[in-house]
Amino acid sequence: MAWVMLIAAGICEMFGVAMIGKLHKDRNWQSVCLLILGFGASFLLLSLAMESLPMGIAYAIWTGIGASGAAIMGMLFYGEARDVKRIACIVVILGAVAGLKLIG
Amino acid sequence: MTITFRAYFMTQEAREMKKSTKSWIMIAGAACFEVIWVIGLKHASAPWEWAVTVAAILISFYALIWASGRLPVGTVYAVFVGLGTAGTVLAGGVLFGEPLRPLKLLLIGLLLAGVVGLKLVTPAQAESEQTKGLN
Repeated sequence: MAWVMLIAAGICEMFGVAMIGKLHKDRNWQSVCLLILGFGASFLLLSLAMESLPMGIAYAIWTGIGASGAAIMGMLFYGEARDVKRIACIVVILGAVAGLKLIG
Repeated sequence: MTITFRAYFMTQEAREMKKSTKSWIMIAGAACFEVIWVIGLKHASAPWEWAVTVAAILISFYALIWASGRLPVGTVYAVFVGLGTAGTVLAGGVLFGEPLRPLKLLLIGLLLAGVVGLKLVTPAQAESEQTKGLN
């Protein structure tokens, strides 16, 4: 169950970041509400998952799903650059973040 | 005529460059406030400490959203998460005496290299089409 909550937390984070993109596109309060809802649900689910999972692993997976998912969604839905160097840099950053959380 | 056009074009370019640099500074600012609220969520007990934590959350998200209007959201979020994590680890070492092992410093170095690389490959006029003209 904790794993399901953790993955859901990552997906909510991804959704929250996508709403940042939507906010700039549509400029409405609906996006702001969805954004707060997304990040709020994400933090809540993460803290619930952390009650039974080790903190480092939970954090690493949560960040991994959320931030890489956000980058992928940016490329799919908001026309963001798909060039290899950009993707490589994002992978390096998120890999280092996951490593830091795991050994933390 | 050509010179005037070129001068105009260059000021446009310089303006884009300035705006882009400001966005990167905003992401760094967002990450600094993220460090504050991460520490706050862990250690806050007095009401004023919680007030600072909540204010830091609002400021960091405001800066994050601001920067996302000028740079690709995937880039902004990766840099925000990266710098926030590096800052939190360093703050843990400096303020709370957690051990900063060589492996941690190596990963932070790698992370910063990734951020610099991302800054280099992101053109100054990186605004995605739909946000153009709205700023």
